Amino acid sequence: MKSETRTEIRDQIIFIICFIGAWYLVNRLGLVSSLVFPSPGEIGNAFIKGFAEGELISYTLFSLKLIAKGLLIGIGLAFVLSSLAVISKHFFAIYNLIVSVFDLLPGVALLPLVLSIFGVCETTIIIIVVHSIIWPMSRSLMDGFKAIPNIYIESGRNIGLKGFNLVRGVYLPAAFASVLSGLRVGWARAWRGLLAVEMIFGTTGTGAGIGWYIFMRRINLDYSGLYAALIVIIIIGIIIEYGLFRSIERNTIRKWGMTAQ
Amino acid sequence: MINARPVLEIKKLTKNYHDGPGSRDIIKGLDLTVNEGDFLTILGPSGCGKTTLIRCIAGFEDYEGDILVDGDPVKAPGIDRFMVFQTFEQLFPWKTVKNNIAYPLKMNGIKDREEQDKIAREHLELVGLGDKGDLYPHQLSGGMKQRVAIAKGLALNPKIILMDEPFAALDAMTRNKLQAELVKIKERENATVIFITHNIQEALALGTRVMLMSKQGEIKINIDNDIPKPVTPASEGYGQLWKMLNDALWEEDDEKE
Repeated sequence: MKSETRTEIRDQIIFIICFIGAWYLVNRLGLVSSLVFPSPGEIGNAFIKGFAEGELISYTLFSLKLIAKGLLIGIGLAFVLSSLAVISKHFFAIYNLIVSVFDLLPGVALLPLVLSIFGVCETTIIIIVVHSIIWPMSRSLMDGFKAIPNIYIESGRNIGLKGFNLVRGVYLPAAFASVLSGLRVGWARAWRGLLAVEMIFGTTGTGAGIGWYIFMRRINLDYSGLYAALIVIIIIGIIIEYGLFRSIERNTIRKWGMTAQ
Repeated sequence: MINARPVLEIKKLTKNYHDGPGSRDIIKGLDLTVNEGDFLTILGPSGCGKTTLIRCIAGFEDYEGDILVDGDPVKAPGIDRFMVFQTFEQLFPWKTVKNNIAYPLKMNGIKDREEQDKIAREHLELVGLGDKGDLYPHQLSGGMKQRVAIAKGLALNPKIILMDEPFAALDAMTRNKLQAELVKIKERENATVIFITHNIQEALALGTRVMLMSKQGEIKINIDNDIPKPVTPASEGYGQLWKMLNDALWEEDDEKE
């Protein structure tokens, strides 16, 4: 098992080196416009420059701050509303319908409407982020709650749990695999939604995000800077997946023996 | 039993799931009294309603008739009636073994952490798992899990412990060992236990009273088991009782066809 993972990682590293090498060759041989395909060195420089001058960092932090706010609100609401759906059958019927309908609406499609109500401001972006995460998160939670083995619920009632205590003490931990997959889907959608909105939006007065940064690099024909921003986005994705989600997984469902393997 | 105080009184209990036209009564007009300190084992053919009976007592089912625990009608699950299930999955996998015992205490008024810990540790010792407190349930064998479930129940100090074939999925060796331990624990704690089984040996080894239910959901046999503990097949009177119960079970099986 261990050595299998090691060969896997070795193969992946070899691939990355080959990929960068191929990129370098394509650029060197002038097979495509070097404007759109800058050399790896130029991209690296743009990356370092972006950080050294602080511009790339401040745009990135601005985006991360917005998404953190939106995620916090969205996840919180999803937890509260999905829990209420466990406690009340009537609420479940209504909320289930709402989730099913709104889950079909991409955040960007709602943007013009939200814009005309709230205008160009942070609230609009946060609403889009909340919208992106709350429905898939609620869907995962409600499906997860439904799939909990009955024995956990009866064990919980057996020790006198009911209502909110039963949700917190049994439903949430028992459905934690679904909680995690809901977080993953929600994060991915919210992050995508945010970048798209930022590109349409530009600056909100208080600052601009990495989506706008990418957009501006293209306008300025600074493709090295554009690639640098893309790399930043990939790195953030890796940190969230491996630094956050995997470590949560390791300390919860894996430790509890609740994974399928 | 002299001066035995009734803990559980069941009067004219009828249970019908009403889950279709012509659904039959699983339990029909059942009367039963269980006294403090009784260890009642209930035998019966599959589908006789023995599990339904203790699920009604535990408060998991609605029912017609009266179920009174210390005079109070049973309306919902409560910690005065603790149920040990058959499945090994009854512990919370997300809590350590010790916290599986401590958590119910915390949720039922024992707020002091040290007190929770102390009670949990004592009861783990009682079932011989004093060194397993920090493990997670998935790291235990089936027999250990059932021991923890029993310890969890004892720690809550319920009026009645209900057991729904908790040893049925264990191998014969572990099963015999747990039976012997349960008899000892029961005597030490003077717990009141209702224990469902389809195994006559188990019913005789554990019960101070043995009851047999018919396919129609009625009590067919309800006797005291006076064989002194520990009960073995060599105990005096064992063969006789075993044969009587076995014949009654066979009779039930014949009626099916």
